[in-house]
Amino acid sequence: MKFLKMAAIAATSLTLLGSAAHAADDKPVVGLVMKSLANEFFQNMLEGAKAHEAKRGDYELRAVGMQNETDIETQINAVENFITQGVDAIVVAPADSRAMVPPLKRAKEAGIVVVNFDVALDTKAKEENDVELAFVGPDNREGAKMAGDALAKKIGKGGKVVIVEGNPGADNAQQRKLGFDDAVEAGELELLDSRTAHWETEEANTVFSNMLTAHPDIEGVMAANDSMAIGVVKALESAGRTDIQVVGFDNVPAVGPMIKDGRLLATVDQFGQEMAANAIDMALEVVRGGPELEGWVKTPIKLVTAE
Amino acid sequence: MTTNVTKQDVGPESGLSMRNVIHKAGISVALLGLIIFFSVFTEHFLTPNNITNILTQITINLVLAVGVTFVILIGGIDLSVGSVMAFAAVVAGKAMTLPDIGTFEAIAIAAFAAVIAGTICGFMNGVVSAYWGLPSFIITLGMLNIARGAALHVSNAQTIYSFPAAFNAFGSAMVFGVPLVFVVALCLVFLAWFVLTKTVFGRLLYGIGNNEEAVRLAGHPVFWYKVAAFTICGLTAGVAAIVYMARLNIASPIAGIGFELNAIAAVIIGGTSLSGGRGSVIGTLLGAFIIGVLANGLILLGLNDFMRQMITGVVIIIAVILDYYRAKYAAK
Repeated sequence: MKFLKMAAIAATSLTLLGSAAHAADDKPVVGLVMKSLANEFFQNMLEGAKAHEAKRGDYELRAVGMQNETDIETQINAVENFITQGVDAIVVAPADSRAMVPPLKRAKEAGIVVVNFDVALDTKAKEENDVELAFVGPDNREGAKMAGDALAKKIGKGGKVVIVEGNPGADNAQQRKLGFDDAVEAGELELLDSRTAHWETEEANTVFSNMLTAHPDIEGVMAANDSMAIGVVKALESAGRTDIQVVGFDNVPAVGPMIKDGRLLATVDQFGQEMAANAIDMALEVVRGGPELEGWVKTPIKLVTAE
Repeated sequence: MTTNVTKQDVGPESGLSMRNVIHKAGISVALLGLIIFFSVFTEHFLTPNNITNILTQITINLVLAVGVTFVILIGGIDLSVGSVMAFAAVVAGKAMTLPDIGTFEAIAIAAFAAVIAGTICGFMNGVVSAYWGLPSFIITLGMLNIARGAALHVSNAQTIYSFPAAFNAFGSAMVFGVPLVFVVALCLVFLAWFVLTKTVFGRLLYGIGNNEEAVRLAGHPVFWYKVAAFTICGLTAGVAAIVYMARLNIASPIAGIGFELNAIAAVIIGGTSLSGGRGSVIGTLLGAFIIGVLANGLILLGLNDFMRQMITGVVIIIAVILDYYRAKYAAK
C-alpha cells in the first residue's frame, strides 16, 4: 500500500512544478493552494509559509499559486493533483467561494484534512454540497469598519466620504464594502459616491481624481486596499488638497511612510504573512489527531495608525 | 503584382487631401460632441482642474498608443505594451532605489534603464515576428507573458517605492497649467508625426502596411523597417513606465494590466486601419482624448461603474462604425 502511495506521489508530482517526490520519511505533507502570487499579499504569505516550514521542520510544504486572481481552473486542478498525491492536509485560499466547494469536498472524502483560510467558502454552497469546512481567517468586514470608524472619528458626524472598492464580485471586496458601510452608518457620515478601482493604484488615482472633481467637498476616503489608497494619496497631492483624510487596508510596506507623515490616516493589518502559517498549524493539529476544526476561527486584525 | 512602385503608392495620405481632412475632422467632431455633452450635463467638466486631470489621465495611454500606431501602421499588433511597461518600471524602480547613489544619478540611470528595457522587449518582438514571418499577435502575446513574468521575478512581486522627491516633482510639475508629463507626451506625438509623414522611413512604414511585397521588391530592407516599428513601440512603453512612476511614485509589477487594449482602442478610434497602411498619429492623439474624456465625464455624470463600462464599449464600436462610413464617403 505504501509503495502504491509512493508511486502515485512520484507519478503525479511530475505534474506539479517544483514538488519533489521525497515523501519517504513520515513527515506529513501539506498542500498549500494560494491565490495570485503576482499579488504582493500572497507572495508575502507564501514566504511566511516557507519560513514556517523551515522553522517547524516536521512537515513538508507543497505550494501552488495561480496566474491571476480569477484563475479558478488552476486552483481546482491543484486540489485534484493534491488528492491524487495523497497529501495529508490541504490548506486553501479559494479564488471563488462557490466553485471551490466540490473539489474540496472530494478531498475531504479522500481523508485529507482541509482548512479554508483567507476568504470563506460560501455557506450556501457548502450546505448544497452537504460538506462541513471550517474557516480560518480575518473578519474583513470588521477590519474595514475599524478603518472606517477611525476616519469617522477624525472628520466627525456628517462628514462627506467616498469609497474606493475592490474587484466587484470578490468576497473580500464585498466584505470590506459592507464594513465601510457599517462605519458610515455608525459614524453618521454622508456617503457621496462608491466606485471600484479593481484593487489597482493607477486606476484608483484616475477614478478618485474624477470623484474629487465631481465632489470637491469630500472630507474622507475609504480605500479597500493600500494599493488603491496610494493612488488616492497621490491624487490628493496633485490636487494640492491636504484637508482630506484617507484610510486603507492591508498595511503593505509602501504605506509605512504615508502613515508616519499623516498622508494616510490608518490602515488595517490582517497579518497576512502569518495567515497561511497559522492555518497550516491548525491543519497539522488535526492531522496529528486533534479535534476537527469547526465554524469560523477568527484570526487577529489590527488598526495601524501613526501613534 | 507590380514592381513599379511610385512614391504615391507607398506614402501616407498627404496632409491636405480631401479624404484626410474629412477623416480627421470626423474624429474631432466626435470628440467635440463628447466635450459639449459633458460640459452641458455636468457641473465641473470644463473647469481648469478637471482639464488638468484629463490631460494627466490620458498621458500614459497616449504614450503607449503612439508606439502602437507604428506597429499597426505596418499591419502588425502589439499586445505586450502593458506588461513591457510594468517590466520597464520595475527595472527602473530597482535602479532608482539603489543604495549609495546621488539623486540625479539615480533618476538618470532609472530613466535610461526604463527606456532600454522597453526597447529591448520591442526589438525582440520585431526580430522574432519579422524574421520568421510570424503573426505579431501571437509573438507579442508571448512577450506579454515574458515581460509580466520578468517584472514579477525582478521585483519578487513587491511594489517598489520611496523615489527621490525631485522625481516626484517631475510627475506633478505644471507648465502653464498643463502637466509636464503631458507636454512630454505631446512632444512624442509631434516627433512621431514628423517621422511618419516627413521622412522616407515613415513613408515606407505606410508602404509596408499597404503592400509589403512592393516595398521589398523596390529594394528596401523590409525586415529592418519592421523591427524598427516594434522597437519604437517598446521604447514608448519604456517612456510610459517613467510617466507611470513619476505620477504614482511607485513601481508595481502588476501595473498596466489591460493597458495594451486601451492603447489599441485609441489607435483604432483615431482612424488607423487595423490592416495597416492607413492612419495617423494625430488621430491617435484624438482617440486617446476620446477615451480619456469618456472615462472622466461618465464619472462626473455619476453613472455607476457597470454602466460606465458598457457605455465605453458602445462608444468604441460606434467610433469604428463612423470611421467605416467616413472612409467610404471620403473614397468616393
